[in-house]
Amino acid sequence: MFKGTILHRVVRVVAIVALLCAAARAANAQAKPAAAIELTDAAGHVVRLAKPARRVISLIPSATETLIALGATPQIVGRTRYDVAPEVAKLPSVGGGLDPSVETIVSLHPDLVIAWESDKRQQIRQQLIAAGIAVFVLRTQDTTDIFRGMANLGRLTGRDSAARAVATSVRGELEVVRRRVAGLSTPTVFYVVYSDPPMTAGPATFIGQLLDLAGGRSIFADLRQNWPTVAMEEIVRRDPDVVIVPVGEFKTNTIDRFRGLAGWRELRAVREGRVVTVPADLSSRPGPGIGEAARVLSAAIHHDFSARAKP
Amino acid sequence: MTTLLATPNGADPLAVSPSPSRRVRLAWPLALRLIMLATLLAVALLAAVRLGAVSLTTRALLDATVGRGDPTTVTIVRELRLPRALQAALVGAALAVSGATFQALLRNPLAEPYILGVSSGAAAGAVLAVVTGWAVRFFWALPIAAFTGAFMSMLLVFRIAFRVGRALDTKVLLLSGVVVSSFLVAVIWLILTFADTESVRSAIFWMMGSHAGASWRSVAILGSCLVPSLLILFALARPLNLLAIGEPTAAYLGTSVERTKIVAFATATLLTAASVSVSGTIGFVGLVVPHAIRLLWGSDNRGLLPCSAIAGAAFLVGADTLARSLAGANELPIGIVTALVGVPCFVWLLRRPAAA
Repeated sequence: MFKGTILHRVVRVVAIVALLCAAARAANAQAKPAAAIELTDAAGHVVRLAKPARRVISLIPSATETLIALGATPQIVGRTRYDVAPEVAKLPSVGGGLDPSVETIVSLHPDLVIAWESDKRQQIRQQLIAAGIAVFVLRTQDTTDIFRGMANLGRLTGRDSAARAVATSVRGELEVVRRRVAGLSTPTVFYVVYSDPPMTAGPATFIGQLLDLAGGRSIFADLRQNWPTVAMEEIVRRDPDVVIVPVGEFKTNTIDRFRGLAGWRELRAVREGRVVTVPADLSSRPGPGIGEAARVLSAAIHHDFSARAKP
Repeated sequence: MTTLLATPNGADPLAVSPSPSRRVRLAWPLALRLIMLATLLAVALLAAVRLGAVSLTTRALLDATVGRGDPTTVTIVRELRLPRALQAALVGAALAVSGATFQALLRNPLAEPYILGVSSGAAAGAVLAVVTGWAVRFFWALPIAAFTGAFMSMLLVFRIAFRVGRALDTKVLLLSGVVVSSFLVAVIWLILTFADTESVRSAIFWMMGSHAGASWRSVAILGSCLVPSLLILFALARPLNLLAIGEPTAAYLGTSVERTKIVAFATATLLTAASVSVSGTIGFVGLVVPHAIRLLWGSDNRGLLPCSAIAGAAFLVGADTLARSLAGANELPIGIVTALVGVPCFVWLLRRPAAA
């Protein structure tokens, strides 16, 4: 019994201390000024900024393009080695987007870093947060992600109205393409992300969605994966009307190479010359360029092959 | 080939067992060697803190070390460079000692820390954590999964080896390590074949090995695992010497062969597992550092194990420093640096007239 009372007393003291702590914490939380910006990123982390970010580093090239389109170029203080835009070419490089030099990032004093949602390791985010830098994780898979990214980047950099304007103009460009292909036939398309082994864009990716919008139908629209590797004989069996090759990203993606490759050679579209190239910098970047990308893809899908075939 | 699958032989510079002819090398007292290597490690650690993608003045560096001056520099030095350098040192020591132990136990100069499939087990765990998304939800999921994978693969390898013979036959152990490793590698690639591109990329980055994720916590965990393991292995140096000559001889001379083997294997494997789980697989260190020490000072494990520990630490700290400062912000994979720098050094050691 004696033991019991002591235990009870201890429990009571602990409970009181815990309550006091909780109360103090609650008071603390209330005392803190509400952050001006509070957004949930693609990984579900709530990111708070007292004011719009003045120094930003984007580890995602397409997000860098979005920032430039929003007029946030003066706020960008670093780039990755994959950024091609001339606006950021002179800025210091922080290395790769997935393996950046964290100390270089820290030395540039950013108040916000835009990072890949697709990076399944948490270490970069963890180290940056430990250094007091806000990290906003962005998804870049489909067009919804692209528009959400624009809105979020606008909010984070204090450029809401610019973000709305860019989004409206991109939507307008997409609408123009959609209307233009409305009455046309829908050729079947094989979009070559990578040639060996053949890899294409799944229906849930922005490329898959743009192909749809541009009036084509991917021969692999039934696959669930985002970037499926497919068998050559399956491509031959599904017999696409058009093969679209983005050039510039991978050196192996050239038309001449396709004509010589076993498998590709057997493809009716390749034999009959229905292979079209599109600039990879345009079609592979999930950013503000997707309107233009849709236009280029629609031109590729509805290319008039008969005109060129005549000698 | 027979010399590669070595047997004790005084004339063989790569022999993993101590032999009387090596005794002459002991003329270099152990204390002196340790002091020399420790100086080397200290220089490497200083270089690691001094060099990096961001160039700092010595003044700023000294201020930052005691926590004064520009807060950014303090963060770079105290939260990024120091833990990273220390993690590289711990991993280097762990891999080198583990490699030396495996070479002695398996009486095989090709033995290295990953030979019993620890790295494949760790990689399988890490890949699972990445593909299932645990790694995203919970920060420590990746190292924990890697360690669990390594530990499970170790248990499996030993279980197979024990089932086959009455006692632990090192040849069977070696084979069972190799087959379990092959099996796990197949499992990893099976998982990755059906995984999304992002997971594959993250998993491959992990498998390439890096110290970029180092933190004080990873250093503390690794250190608390490393110190007792190193002490256990150092204490086993004499029985390991006898075992390297041959198990019957060792038993004859009063070594409890089975116990020594099991304790040494388990400790060396745990060392490797702990290292792999924080830094991924980093090749070359565990294979070559012990050989370099043997070429210099002979294969007496009493000297070899502590010397390998410090030399491995210094080597990996140096390699990591090069990896993150040679190409500015573009970090080189550390495995490339260890081999590019390590191979010429090792070839030079092999060709030294004194080694013949």
